[in-house]
Amino acid sequence: MSEFRKQHPVAGVSQVIETIKQNFVTLIILLFIGTTNSEGYFLYFLAAGLGMSFVGGIFGWWFFRFRIFEDELQIQKGIFVKKKVYLSKDRIQVIDITEGLLQRFFGLVKVEVKTAGGGTETATINAITRSEAEELRTELRKRNNGEQVYEEREAEEQEEVLATWKLSSKDLVYAAFTSGNFGLIASILGAISGQLNEMINEETIEYIYEVMPGYSDVTVYIALILVIIVVSWLLSFLGVIFSYSDFRLQKTSEELIITRGLIERKHVTVPFDRIQAVRFVEGVIRQPFGYGMLYVESAGFDQSQQGRSIVLAPYIAKSDVSSFLKEFAEEYTEPEYETRPSEKALFRYIRRPNYFLILLIPILWYMLTYGWISLLLIPLLSFLGWMRYKDAALGMDGDRILRVRYRTISRTTAIMKRTRIQDAGLSENPFQRRKNLKNLSVTVASGAGGMEFEIKDLVDKKSLEVYRWISDGKKVDFTSEGEEKNKELNS
Amino acid sequence: MNQEPTTRIHKNAIKAWTVNALLFGLLWFIPAAFYFGIAISHNIGKGTPWYNGIDWILFSSLFLIALIIYIVIAAVLPKLRWQRWKYDVSDKEIDMLRGIIIKKRTLVPINRVQHVDTRQGPVYRKFGLASVTISTAATTHEIPALDNETADELRNTISRLVRKVKSDV
Repeated sequence: MSEFRKQHPVAGVSQVIETIKQNFVTLIILLFIGTTNSEGYFLYFLAAGLGMSFVGGIFGWWFFRFRIFEDELQIQKGIFVKKKVYLSKDRIQVIDITEGLLQRFFGLVKVEVKTAGGGTETATINAITRSEAEELRTELRKRNNGEQVYEEREAEEQEEVLATWKLSSKDLVYAAFTSGNFGLIASILGAISGQLNEMINEETIEYIYEVMPGYSDVTVYIALILVIIVVSWLLSFLGVIFSYSDFRLQKTSEELIITRGLIERKHVTVPFDRIQAVRFVEGVIRQPFGYGMLYVESAGFDQSQQGRSIVLAPYIAKSDVSSFLKEFAEEYTEPEYETRPSEKALFRYIRRPNYFLILLIPILWYMLTYGWISLLLIPLLSFLGWMRYKDAALGMDGDRILRVRYRTISRTTAIMKRTRIQDAGLSENPFQRRKNLKNLSVTVASGAGGMEFEIKDLVDKKSLEVYRWISDGKKVDFTSEGEEKNKELNS
Repeated sequence: MNQEPTTRIHKNAIKAWTVNALLFGLLWFIPAAFYFGIAISHNIGKGTPWYNGIDWILFSSLFLIALIIYIVIAAVLPKLRWQRWKYDVSDKEIDMLRGIIIKKRTLVPINRVQHVDTRQGPVYRKFGLASVTISTAATTHEIPALDNETADELRNTISRLVRKVKSDV
């Protein structure tokens, strides 16, 4: 392997597909505009763009070379700007071999080589034969000077699986049914709303009158929104089926291994010492059934990803989470909730989600015939605020574990080790100051960035206690009774 | 340890921020200038007086808004910001307090610090100031406007503390 090699030509095509995948939303929007515009210039643009990315893919393949030379995986690539990626064997942490759909057709695999540490870098070889990949892996696992190290490494590689968790097909279907992704719906609504005016003009309305007499433009809007909701729900249904089919989680003594996917089998390895936090998310539709999704946050590996949340269990009952964690991430215990937002904050919580309506309702009222219907949002959002108030809570276990629970729309419970908390923050605005309330936030690392958890409107003495605890792990009661107790203890 | 941090940043910060605000605050005048430019360019080559067709009310309100913002950010905010900025570094943590309207306090445990830098832009250099940035695996924090010696000292102190804690574990 000391000579430079090329990938299988399919790599060029897979590059093109990757480009299309990444720009999928843009493409859809362009298509949309292209077809509504009678001229159809956009379609030419699209064709030109596709053509260019195809040529780019072929050249990219032509210039891509890799070899193993003196303890390093060396990759050279780039059409105009030559890039050389050299990864030393010692720093390589994970070698992932994945079969994509395209690769599977040609009996090929994709290899991702990941290192850890500050300057994390991933080297991806898009398409080589499986035997080449295996050779590459054994070669990379082997040190230059001794077979023995290699034997040990190999032994590690096939380490005993200590526990396995699988997603049953029944649960997969339930997961898909309940996956209604409101973020997706909102973004699609946003993308299309610009087009609404063009689509709903006099002609279409007249046409609809003819086809279905007795329908006004309001019903058309509502019907459209319903269609969008159904379509996006279908998309997320299929998304779940494709991503989490045959989901398998395995635990070895050092890492968690996740294998999942229907068409594209994904293989993710999470070493235990990279785990920053565990997160249980109960979606609005799932919560009533007592189910949710379990994630881990992991640091490092891929610099390009801001957050790195990895799904540990796509659909799991709330009542099973404790035993699941005991088996797969035993350090993450679930301390009792001991701190909640102040009672004085209830009305603040109810008010908070309504603030943006001050702007929205007048605009809607003014713009749409039945804009006043938007007033119905007030009780809805107030209810959301009340739920947020009920759900916000945090608890600490000794000097080790912090558990916070909060709701944006879904309810999230996050469990993290104190020693993994990167920073803590307290903030108060003038209104909160008057009522002695503070927001508390903690940040853990996730990917190359961070993930923040915030609980609003805690009694300030209580928030200070948690703040201090994050620094030294000692619980000091700052409330007035507590201070007296402290004095007694000290004297 | 209930107390809020007490160490202040260097008093020159007010001057440095004022200079900065005077420089960058000019950007607020762009809308007024832009409007003015367009309005007079309409009169070029037409023989009409250069001020023809300028909506003076619109122009002066744009200008006034910019002027008010300019004065506030240059004359009022630096002082307030300096008054509110306090920090403390102990062998366990870095504690920072800041914020004019919303008061923010941030705590970074020492053993979470990945690296510390000092930074100095042209304006800071002029006033002999430097800022210290503290990076963790997830976030970056900045203590602004310390005089050069304090900044270097603080950087060295923090990195020494970090090394000590890391070797303890």
